Amino acid sequence: MEYSTMFLKVQLPWNVIIAAENLKPGSLMLQRAILIRLLSDFAAKKATKDMGYFLAVTTLDKIGEGKVRQHTGDVLFPVVFNAVTFKIFKGEVLEGVVHKVLKHGVFMRIGPIENAYLSSSKMPGYVYVLGENPYFMNQKMPKIAKDVKVRVVVIGTKWMEAEREFQALVGLEGDYLGPISSPDM
Amino acid sequence: MSGEEEENAAELKIGDEFLKAKCLMNCEVSLILEHKYEQLQQSSDDAMNQVSQVFEKSLQYVKRFSRYKNPDAVRQVREILARYQLAEFELCVLGNLCPETVEEAIAMVPSIKTRGRAQDDEAIEKMLNDLSLIKKFE
Repeated sequence: MEYSTMFLKVQLPWNVIIAAENLKPGSLMLQRAILIRLLSDFAAKKATKDMGYFLAVTTLDKIGEGKVRQHTGDVLFPVVFNAVTFKIFKGEVLEGVVHKVLKHGVFMRIGPIENAYLSSSKMPGYVYVLGENPYFMNQKMPKIAKDVKVRVVVIGTKWMEAEREFQALVGLEGDYLGPISSPDM
Repeated sequence: MSGEEEENAAELKIGDEFLKAKCLMNCEVSLILEHKYEQLQQSSDDAMNQVSQVFEKSLQYVKRFSRYKNPDAVRQVREILARYQLAEFELCVLGNLCPETVEEAIAMVPSIKTRGRAQDDEAIEKMLNDLSLIKKFE
């Protein structure tokens, strides 16, 4: 098991490029332009295979000296900033919400991950119940239906390069896993 | 610590332990993202108040899966867990899942037993009791 968990605070060096026409005199305007560009690039980047999902920039620690780019006249500023990122790891126990119930399993949302798949083969003791609002039923445990919170273990993750997102495979094999009924706050 | 970090720390009533942290609990992330969201909403500059889908989904998630809401309680959870020689990720999983028994805690984070530290059942039980006390008085 990789020893880590969902939300991480990281410090990252990036290059922010400011177009020539946005380079107004006065350092305050420039700092603002750099921050806005950084926030925009950060949001657009969405996620990478190594770092996971990019959630939010928390602090801008350093802005280095700008370097003029020969052909365009843009200026490149190396910056260092802190951010919160999200990535899940094989073997980790965590909680999510069911958003789709199918015959062979359910799809859950875990953080920004939209499709964490819990296969029926990984739901020991559960059977599929057909209907307008299908669900999975178990003699000894609460049912697994849309909007139910479930505690699962991560079996594997997959980075989808084209969509820039992760998919995950999760399961209920293990003690203390399954639907949880903590009050929604 | 940079000036801005200090400012954030003061605003969010964040303790020293949190500033050193690399792994964050859901309740900590909830405070950070909610604060960020308010800041962005108040900004009159359109370029500043765009939030990404990743941000929105994550905010929704941590709000729903935070066991502690009060900033003081959140700070206390980390401070208390920090006393027990846990690895960062162990601290976060325990703070997120709030196991009720020693057995459950070990099932959630098996490494707390196998790392060869002084983590006997008694110590784990005390830690869980301390956590539940924070919850009671939140």
